[in-house]
Amino acid sequence: MHMANWTRPLGAAAVMLLFAQAGAAQETLKLGISAPFSGAGATWGLGMEWAAEQAAERVNEEGGVTANGKTYMFDIVSYDNKYSATEGARSAQTMLNRDGIDFIVGTVGTAPLRAMQALTERKGVIVFNVAWGKSVKGPEFPYTFTQMNTPFEILVPFYTFIKEQHPDLETAVLISPNDATGQELEPMAIETWKNLGVEMLASDWYERGTTEFQPIATKIASLDPDLVDFSAAPPTDVGSILKELDVLGWEGVKVISAGSSVEALMAVAGEAAEGAYLGASADFSGESATEVQKELNAGAREALGEPLNGLTISPYDAIMALRAAIEEADSVDPTKVKDVLPSVRFESSYGPSGFGGEATYDYPQQMLLPVIVTRVENGETVELTRSNPAELEALIND
Amino acid sequence: MWNRLPGVWICVAFAIASVLFALLATNAYYTSLVVWVLTNAVLASALRFVLQIGELNIATAAFFGIGAYTTAITAVLLGWPFWLTLLLAPLVAGALSALFGWVTLRTKGPYFLLVSFAVTEVVRLVYTQTNAIGGNSGLVGMFPPMAIEAYYPALAVALLAATLFALYGVERSDLGRLFKAIENNDAIPRSVGLNVVFLKVLCVVIAGSAVGLAGGLHAYANNVIAPSDFTFFVAILALAYVKIGGEGHALGPVLGAALLTLVGQWVAGISAWENIFYGAVIVVTLLVFPGGLVGLAARARGLVTRSAR
Amino acid sequence: MELFVQLLANTLQIGAVYVLFALGLTLIFGVMKIVNFAHGGFFTAAALIVTSVVPFATVELGAPLWAGYLLAAIVAIVVVLCLGALVYGIGFQHVLKDLNGSFILSIGLLLILNGAYLAIYGGAPRTVPQVLPGTVSIFGAALTAQRLALVIVAAVVTGGLYLLIERTRLGLALRAVAMDQEAAMLQGMPFKRVALYGFLIGAALAACAGVLMAPINAVTPVSGDEFLIKAFIIIIIGGLGSVPGAIIGGLFIALIESVGGYFFDPSTATLATFILVIAFLLVRPQGILGNVE
Repeated sequence: MHMANWTRPLGAAAVMLLFAQAGAAQETLKLGISAPFSGAGATWGLGMEWAAEQAAERVNEEGGVTANGKTYMFDIVSYDNKYSATEGARSAQTMLNRDGIDFIVGTVGTAPLRAMQALTERKGVIVFNVAWGKSVKGPEFPYTFTQMNTPFEILVPFYTFIKEQHPDLETAVLISPNDATGQELEPMAIETWKNLGVEMLASDWYERGTTEFQPIATKIASLDPDLVDFSAAPPTDVGSILKELDVLGWEGVKVISAGSSVEALMAVAGEAAEGAYLGASADFSGESATEVQKELNAGAREALGEPLNGLTISPYDAIMALRAAIEEADSVDPTKVKDVLPSVRFESSYGPSGFGGEATYDYPQQMLLPVIVTRVENGETVELTRSNPAELEALIND
Repeated sequence: MWNRLPGVWICVAFAIASVLFALLATNAYYTSLVVWVLTNAVLASALRFVLQIGELNIATAAFFGIGAYTTAITAVLLGWPFWLTLLLAPLVAGALSALFGWVTLRTKGPYFLLVSFAVTEVVRLVYTQTNAIGGNSGLVGMFPPMAIEAYYPALAVALLAATLFALYGVERSDLGRLFKAIENNDAIPRSVGLNVVFLKVLCVVIAGSAVGLAGGLHAYANNVIAPSDFTFFVAILALAYVKIGGEGHALGPVLGAALLTLVGQWVAGISAWENIFYGAVIVVTLLVFPGGLVGLAARARGLVTRSAR
Repeated sequence: MELFVQLLANTLQIGAVYVLFALGLTLIFGVMKIVNFAHGGFFTAAALIVTSVVPFATVELGAPLWAGYLLAAIVAIVVVLCLGALVYGIGFQHVLKDLNGSFILSIGLLLILNGAYLAIYGGAPRTVPQVLPGTVSIFGAALTAQRLALVIVAAVVTGGLYLLIERTRLGLALRAVAMDQEAAMLQGMPFKRVALYGFLIGAALAACAGVLMAPINAVTPVSGDEFLIKAFIIIIIGGLGSVPGAIIGGLFIALIESVGGYFFDPSTATLATFILVIAFLLVRPQGILGNVE
């Protein structure tokens, strides 16, 4: 658990002292997580930490990871980035300079990641992330790897699917959080809807931390669009707006591109969330889920009280990629590991995977994963479609 | 003890030792910690500096931010030379402090406290609304030039320590005595023909320039700044340093900042315990040792001299 | 037309909580001359207690939702009153009328409370089921029954407070102390006791606001802080220490948020309120209804 973090280094130090005297047989490789553990995104941090711990446990049980004749055990250390640039930078400083971490297996948010990159790219530390911005990728960021689908993978298939379900959609309103993720997503969302023949009536911003959503809901309801797209807004905020919209009698298609946790959404919105389409969720207990996903999902339900989603499961996949890359490079030197990552093949929780996306980002640093569209039906996540991008299809058939 | 020359020389020795440490230590974590301690010390000293005229200036946080943003904007967006970007930080912060002081210092007490609080929030909201300077995400990529980079922590420590000595120098000068006189009763200085409003503005400008420079140095030390770095909470923490260290002497805020920043590292990482820790330290000090560390030292010295007599 | 009724309804909904919150803050300032940053802590405590007592009462004790909520409300207010008395006894009574000292003390308390809430409840938002489901339409404006109840309860509480201050001996004592503490003490008023009562009434008002908001918004350990900043703006506009000023100020800020949020966007509305406050402080520092020092 997150709370135990500060005791863990002490315990680890004591254990290390014992080992040091007995002559070290195996070494510990610390993997960092920098995610929100408080505020609207708290469930993301808790879920990611849990998934990372499961992956580390699995790797350790299977004998750890071997490189250059040494065996390493994974250990997860978490930091609260509060979804802000400042805390992102601060957590990076602590991870790199104090705790000597070379691999970060999960970080959320474009702004915190950008802040971290100022340090990690310079010092040569690998950062796996679920940041949605395009500006954090490219050949100038060779240590950065994205472990989850982003709007550039999701939006076209996601929106196209929704338009197929509702052919008469004509007008939309876009609500974005006023942060880096929201800002990078907005033009892309407007463009994609336009190509599908949906006109954007208004594109509005709100500050994270807003408590009263009636004004924004009143505005949406008076525009009366066929569809509202909540862009990168976290589930709790979306829930509040949906509830107000329901009160005002608006009925239309609800699209939540960053929609990850149905539980958080339902807790706030209740029945008002019914029918919403989610771009970042998944039903890991359903038919198309893999055995690994079903097992992780059941464990998360028990430990955290809510199932995993596309975002929270992602550190598992990052750790699997990292293990494969360390073994391939036969080194725990992040510079060598980063060189093999773009071409490494590994078994993600979804099945065989690798990295790609060179066409979009000019550098193969995007994990190739199926795009999953889900919908809230009777308060549960229901998977509507799961499709592999062309690059992933080619990799599987290779 | 502190007021006599040997005390000052001890402080100078300490400052030189800090600079040498920042220059020679190889662990980046420890050098950045020294920079951080001194940044907080300047924030706390500047807050105490305005407390001399009896006002609690929450906008200390805003001028820290203005300094940092000035440096970051000129360095990252305009690509101006390093020294110029650093020099501009205190100048811009000082100029805006003059405007702020001239407009707001007609209020005092709780009204000045609240107006300075509101100004801090407005400045922060303006950053978040201005996309040209990164909006909510702030600015990234302030790096000292390659030639200086290795010495940067030492440079920052030296400049911050010099700022602290400068603030102390002003406090001990005639000007400092006038500030004190204003706190006690601003009718008396006025009755002898002094321009009280001008003196008050001057006090705010000196403090504002000091934190502006600290902000500029912070921008290069941190490489990243964002609006959320500069909430009113920065001033509140600075106030905690002042209270813990003791208001009675210029050394108080420095000691308070050093103690809380270093001990705070212990609990860093988990916001819950960090908050409880800071809160408990503030409450206990305020209620049990109202004079802070400096007050405690003075009392201990008083006991010693009394028993020696 | 319908739009304006809706905007007015939004104003009342938002304003009701602001008024309750600001009333407590302004009362405490008026009587004790302290700026209490820990006021949001009372609000958050009450809201968090509701989120844990309601599930306990309905699931463990099998009580119906309304009974569980009533029980939670009582528990929350009692706990907050105890917390208030504790905080007053340990801290505030030693720093009465010391502006900087009490301000710093309240900040220390706020940090402790926020940290404790985070340690106990974690950072994730918590929710309670709606006690009064359904939607009401008034002159074409739609609002939930829950919100309507909030507005009514807030109006009743505010009215009650007004009567208390204007019509009772305690109210007289509070007003006397607020106006001139030394003169009141010369008349034989027990200042410390009056200050304690004023502080507790303020805390209870914050608790009321917390109890009322819990079923409407998701509750986090920092919920109260957002309202605190708003409440400061409100009491500046209304005049520090003025009860009717807090009511007018609360509704005024809610109006700006409701109308500004509709015609521009919420971010701009927030900025506008702060700039308004600065202008206000400079032109008329004592606020709309404040007394001249």
